[in-house]
Amino acid sequence: MIGFLAPLMLVGALAIAVPIAIHLIGRQRARVVEFAALDFLMATKRRTARRLRLRERVLLLVRALACLAIAIALAKPFTSCDRKGPQVTRGPQAAVLLIDDSFASGYVIDGKPWLRRASEDARRVLAQLGPEAEVAIVRTSEGSEHPTELTRDHVRLRDQLLALEPSARPADTTRALARSAQLLASSSHARKTVFVFSLDQKTGFHGDEPPWGTDGPALVTIDSRPAELPNLAVTALRADPDPGAGSRGIAFDAEVANFASSPRQVELSLAIGEHVVARGMLQLGAGEHRTKRFIAALPAGTRASDASVSLDGDGLAIDDRRWVRASLRDEVRVLLVDGDPRTVRHDDEVFYAETALRPGDREDSGTSVRVITSEELAGLDPKARGAAPALSLDDFDVVVLANVPALPPERVAILADWVRAGGGIFVAPGDQVDPAAYDRTMLPLLPQSLRDPIDTTWGAAPEERDSRALHLVKWEADHPIFAPFPKDAPGLADAKFYKISLLGPTTATADRKVLARFTNGAAALVEATIGSGHTLLFTSTLDRDWNDLPIHPGYLPLLQQSVRHLARKHAPGAEPEHLVGSSVVLPVGDLKRLEIRGPDGLGAVFEGDRITGRSSVRFGRTERPGVYRVIGTDQTGATGPRDELAFVVNVDPHGSDLTPAPPTMLPHSGTGGPAAPTDDRRRVELWHALAAAVLLLLLAEGVLVQR
Amino acid sequence: MTVGLDPVQLARLGSLPIKARVIVEGALSGLHRAAMHGSSVEFAEHKEYSPGDELRSVDWKAYAKLDRYYVKQFEQESQLTVYLVLDASASMRFRGAGAMSKLDHGALLLAALAYLVSQQQDKVGLVACGDRATETIVPARARTTHLHDLLGVIEQVMARGARGDESPAPALARIAELTRRRRALIVIASDLFDPEDETVRALAQLRAQRHDVSVLHVLDPHERTFPYEGLTEFRALETGGRMLVNPAAIRRDYLERMAQFLARCRGTLTAAGVDYHLAPTDGALEQALLDLLVARSRLMPRRAS
Repeated sequence: MIGFLAPLMLVGALAIAVPIAIHLIGRQRARVVEFAALDFLMATKRRTARRLRLRERVLLLVRALACLAIAIALAKPFTSCDRKGPQVTRGPQAAVLLIDDSFASGYVIDGKPWLRRASEDARRVLAQLGPEAEVAIVRTSEGSEHPTELTRDHVRLRDQLLALEPSARPADTTRALARSAQLLASSSHARKTVFVFSLDQKTGFHGDEPPWGTDGPALVTIDSRPAELPNLAVTALRADPDPGAGSRGIAFDAEVANFASSPRQVELSLAIGEHVVARGMLQLGAGEHRTKRFIAALPAGTRASDASVSLDGDGLAIDDRRWVRASLRDEVRVLLVDGDPRTVRHDDEVFYAETALRPGDREDSGTSVRVITSEELAGLDPKARGAAPALSLDDFDVVVLANVPALPPERVAILADWVRAGGGIFVAPGDQVDPAAYDRTMLPLLPQSLRDPIDTTWGAAPEERDSRALHLVKWEADHPIFAPFPKDAPGLADAKFYKISLLGPTTATADRKVLARFTNGAAALVEATIGSGHTLLFTSTLDRDWNDLPIHPGYLPLLQQSVRHLARKHAPGAEPEHLVGSSVVLPVGDLKRLEIRGPDGLGAVFEGDRITGRSSVRFGRTERPGVYRVIGTDQTGATGPRDELAFVVNVDPHGSDLTPAPPTMLPHSGTGGPAAPTDDRRRVELWHALAAAVLLLLLAEGVLVQR
Repeated sequence: MTVGLDPVQLARLGSLPIKARVIVEGALSGLHRAAMHGSSVEFAEHKEYSPGDELRSVDWKAYAKLDRYYVKQFEQESQLTVYLVLDASASMRFRGAGAMSKLDHGALLLAALAYLVSQQQDKVGLVACGDRATETIVPARARTTHLHDLLGVIEQVMARGARGDESPAPALARIAELTRRRRALIVIASDLFDPEDETVRALAQLRAQRHDVSVLHVLDPHERTFPYEGLTEFRALETGGRMLVNPAAIRRDYLERMAQFLARCRGTLTAAGVDYHLAPTDGALEQALLDLLVARSRLMPRRAS
């Protein structure tokens, strides 16, 4: 429905008669010329007559329309429609534009981030509030700085809105609302309003305390959130050494979440450094979290590297990639005590154990092994050392007693003290072990007393030998030692045990645990906690005297996992994950200058007073996710990358959940002071468009006249 | 150099014979000798030379024998026959910027020619065409009284005004019949506005019949420049057709077509050997006459040989 503010001006529409009259009168008042050469004119006219006639009529129409449009424009026509935008009242008031700049606001809708649309809405509201309004802009991203006061400097506010970019932090709408309430409370204006431009993520609200009461500011929510915001995110990423994949093998466990209402198939890729080394697919149901494991090896020559898992893009890219620092295990220092040394290498008691702990005798195997005889253990005891070289248990994480005869009590005491202090000891029997002697001296190191061994093949014919052998069953699959093994682990289960030591009865069950048993129910591997340390008792030999386990694939991971468990180095680099906005503490060491270079040029330099005399520095500018590299300068002036100090920063996965908050979580709108007159209908003035039409018509008339 | 006659002054001169004489005298004052005389003559007798006689007529053989100058007297074997064709169709009534209409302009030129020819004792006739009902033919005669009759007819035509829409082509055909193969000079004053170019073709045909043909193409300056502005209703003089038009919108096309028309007339006629002269109504009458005479004098020796 169209109305007019000045309907009397419509009388001017009669002016439409003017061009028509001019047209008609012009025809009548045409000068008459008797012309001889009319044939020429007629021929010319024939060619142009139609065009000229059309031009005359168009010209008449344009002029008539221009007159009509001028009259209608002067009458100021308007129409009205349902108010779509927010209720904005112009005039003196206090208002807060609360705008969501969490990383979710970077969700791309129709080719541009949602935040840009919200910023446009906010600028429109700011303009509608008028210059007398005192306004502040409060951002909802977690940890963002909030303004201290309201201002009438709308130009600056507009610039702030224009400069808004999605942060890498999750939303903290509750805190932003509270700050908005504080700002408005300090204002003397009667009318107070909070305009909310937010995705209203459920994860952005916490706590039950409402930011204001019934007399609080009015709350106007500008809902520009699409009905559906499907999002996929890599919400967690772990990197653990995987001995089963080789000495440099790393298992990457990427947790992927589907925050959508429909199932999705996701393509994931693993990159080590900048090189994609693996890809995989993952089917995710609606709202499902699933973990995808990648196995990869770190590049040769490195003990640590940054890696990332990313998924094919969706509307919100920032949470589609997650970084992790992948490190090989810390080296485990093992003292192998050979109780039955032989000159023939493969007959030696510890031949297989040494080979398994240090495969290929490579530096990057993660284990350093020193082999000594049981006599050389005398080096532990200064009084009984004799010719044995001095030996310090502080140089070792784990001691393996392989078929070692019972030790004297004083040496056992030294070892026991070391275990209580955190050391780990692995005991395997053999033909050199006398259970009775062990009972006398070795009990402080054992989880359980030893009994005589049994030979399961005793008296059996050679062809029956294998069938009477025992097998490992019922191992604790959840125990870190058995974590690398699959459920049925043929590498372990196929090994045949012909002779095992039996264990004596015990009542100590609190600190003792049987980790694996044989098919006859006898204990195969028993663990006990002694003070801060651990001891493991394996009831068969570490060589092939009593079993053929050393030639089975399970031998190497079993032994490596056992010594790592004893050394408690299962989770190398299990440092806390750094999220965007968190502080990272870096040890200074001998560095006199330390430079941190992050993604997007973020970084800092610590030198001079900022580093001198300090053991660590704190870096807080972790505003973007990615890899932060460290370049250090030591006291000699040598500058180079310090990979061991590099760290990664990821977005908070809570922010990836775009589920909208239920209305009950949103604060109630207060009265906001005296209510402004509201009108659900919005008047749309049309005279601007008509004025433009008049201009266009006049322009067209000018062009037609010139033709 | 000739001085142009003021048309207003010319109009005050009264009767057409006087006007014709004034025009001729004006034209001849710039011409050394007349070119409008018979070209085929025969020796008659000798006459003693007296000042004023042409030197080319002196009989040098007689001078060698008698030591006295004698001038050869010639007798015209046949007189020059000139037919003047005046296009008096309605289109000749147009008068734009000039002081006189195309009809008056053409009529005065032909009257002056008639006077000139008559003064030379040659035969002159007239055909006034344009309207079949009032078409006038004055046979060619050489008597002095005939000149008065002829000029009287021209005066009547001028007084009656241009009318009708017949082209001069039929009149030219009749002249061809009248001359009966005797060579004649035919001078036509017309605007040649003829949709089918009949007139131009008829003139070329006359020339093909060994007649000498001269065309005085009479046009008004407004017809050549089309200076009109503002919404104008043009009315055809011959057909009565009307056309309401903004002249500016069609000026370019009109001028293009007029230029093509003039080029076509000049090209076709000149190619046929017709002596073509553009005689705009704002031009001096005696100049147009002079141009015609000069052109005739150039053509005559070539054609006589």
